[in-house]
Amino acid sequence: MLTLLTDEQQMLKEVAGEIAGSAGLANPSDLTSRNWAATWQSLAQSGLLALRTRDEDGSPVGSGVEVAVVAEAMGAGLVPVPYLGSAILATELLCLAGADDDAARLAEGTARAGVLLNRDLSGLARFPADGMVYGWDVDGAEEALALTDSPEGPRVVRVSLADGFVPAVSADLTRRLLRSDGPIDPARLTTVGRPLTPEDLLRWEALALAAVCADVVGVMRSALAKAIAYAKERVQYGVLIGSFQAIQHMCAEAYVAAEAAASATSYAAWAVDALDPADALLAGWTAKAQCAAVARDVTETVMQVFGGIGQTYEHIAHVHTRRALMDSLVFGDENALLLRIADVRLTGE
Amino acid sequence: MDYRDTPEEAGFRADLRQWLADHIPAGWDKIEDEQEAVALRKGWHRTLYQAGYVGLSWPVEYGGRGLSPVYDAILNEESGNLNAPPLPSVGYIGRAIFTYASEEQKQRFLPPLLSGDTQWCQGFSEPEAGSDLASLRTSARLDGDHYVVNGQKMWTSGGQYADWCLLLARTDPDVPKHKGISAFLVSVKEPGVTVRPIVIASGEAETAEVFWDDVRIPVHQRLGAPGEGWRIAMTTVSYERGPADIGFIAAYRRTLRKVEHLAAERGLLEQPEWRKKLARAYVQGEVLRLNCMEQLSSRVSGRPPGPEGSVAKLLWADAEQSLQHLAMDILGADELTGSAEGWLSSYFTSRPVSVYGGSAQIQKNIIARMLDLPR
Repeated sequence: MLTLLTDEQQMLKEVAGEIAGSAGLANPSDLTSRNWAATWQSLAQSGLLALRTRDEDGSPVGSGVEVAVVAEAMGAGLVPVPYLGSAILATELLCLAGADDDAARLAEGTARAGVLLNRDLSGLARFPADGMVYGWDVDGAEEALALTDSPEGPRVVRVSLADGFVPAVSADLTRRLLRSDGPIDPARLTTVGRPLTPEDLLRWEALALAAVCADVVGVMRSALAKAIAYAKERVQYGVLIGSFQAIQHMCAEAYVAAEAAASATSYAAWAVDALDPADALLAGWTAKAQCAAVARDVTETVMQVFGGIGQTYEHIAHVHTRRALMDSLVFGDENALLLRIADVRLTGE
Repeated sequence: MDYRDTPEEAGFRADLRQWLADHIPAGWDKIEDEQEAVALRKGWHRTLYQAGYVGLSWPVEYGGRGLSPVYDAILNEESGNLNAPPLPSVGYIGRAIFTYASEEQKQRFLPPLLSGDTQWCQGFSEPEAGSDLASLRTSARLDGDHYVVNGQKMWTSGGQYADWCLLLARTDPDVPKHKGISAFLVSVKEPGVTVRPIVIASGEAETAEVFWDDVRIPVHQRLGAPGEGWRIAMTTVSYERGPADIGFIAAYRRTLRKVEHLAAERGLLEQPEWRKKLARAYVQGEVLRLNCMEQLSSRVSGRPPGPEGSVAKLLWADAEQSLQHLAMDILGADELTGSAEGWLSSYFTSRPVSVYGGSAQIQKNIIARMLDLPR
């Protein structure tokens, strides 16, 4: 048993951290004033968009652990590029369907794709049952992927985002959200590759959960680091506010919550490719339930430590809160996942 | 990164599991008589020792097996899973002795500590020195080739069953408080030592207070240099945490299963609100387990235990206490009317978890230090 990152994973963390650090948001106005296409290119050039493409043996180039390392860095930097949507979630769907060439185009950074989520953002849209859908994390994407039922099992379908979608006002300012303006016409769905197995779908969900958990762990850790730095420079009553035990204990509690979420996330990320799909999924639900239970509180604590300035639109604090709120919701909020865990645990035996 | 056992660890675990199944004394947890219970724990210590399961991570030269702390964690986990009698807590006393003792002291004290022939307790806290341990007032005055000890120790767990004590006392009142403390290895059977059990709110004698009246300790039983006591104490308490936590987690999971069973008996599993509460308790246990595994890995890779132990301590206290709240909510009147035996006692036993070994508030102060927040 050894739960630490390998040297290679540690190097990956540094590379991802450098890219996310230089591309990261310093304040909300950066969202409109900076060139995010360049960030996407540097992610592509570093190979970070290719982690879920398959090697000659058909294995993912990077495991769930590598995905989580990069996703955490992107979350920490609040980087407004569709890393999860395109490089992880859409790429994985394409590879599971055997559409490796399409996945390769996403990995090169020359094309982007997003995913369609159902009405309550709790999972991948599945046609024909799901009517109204959302395109999530679709910045720069021409199309988004979803599932459709077929006699051979669920199949991946692509939908053009060019028409039939309108921008939705997302709480999260760093990920583009579109809403279909009505039920999706079946004629607009194009089937991709081979049908998926039940195991494929479980693994995909486990990967999605681990990736979004890693993102929100990054959001929490970096938000808290900013609040702590502020507490070390902000003076009131002639002393640094970080010397007040009230502030110290708020920070300590938030730190414990974020680190606990990180521990559960690391395991879920490792489980994606290492455990049976059912166990990997339970690990993912557990991590997500923990992340969702604490992410709002942690980012609210950060806004509180920043005091008045932390409540303003110009300040970065609410951008953390917004991304944390959306991360907490997508692929199941705490209540939904606790009920799924209960279904596994409480079988009456 | 791999959360699974290595082949060696898996082999050790399989052998251990079989050994425990063969050796755990039947009905040990039903023993009511206190003397009998004490005898059983001592006997279990010896049984474990004879099988080579005590001091797994101690250096070989001091009678250990020189294994990584992961093996201690496996021992704790399997003991917890199979509901074995409590493991002897020799780790922290042993650590203090083989890190700071003279060769002569090591030869004298380590073998019987390992074998269970001598039982130890830890004389640190005092009535006026709880969280602020360094303000302790028990004095050790040098008188020829002896120290003369006077004072009172509190929360000396196992004091009533111990033969020896790792004692902290002030040897120099004229220097800053952290620098005037020395550590001693002392028999609690000496004249002048009085041990009185402390009954905690649960009604159980979980701990003890120890009075020291003109107790004479030979100078050669001082551990380390004069004034080195604080450093020894900090080493000791940092090794109190760690692998043993895994044992608590195993116990937590067994208790959770019991609580789930209680909920099922009362027909609560149909209701989503109760299902969510039970699932939440599972998540808390998992989070604690995974956090402890990370800390253990960090120790195995050579980093000494640090303040991140405070994170696990806070998670543990919260999980343990929340689980007892959940049990109380499920049991309702049964817990408060004596109809559900043991649960009210368990509830009160969970309360000091956020006090002993450094209160929750002290743990948060330690984390604030670690985060480099200003004093």
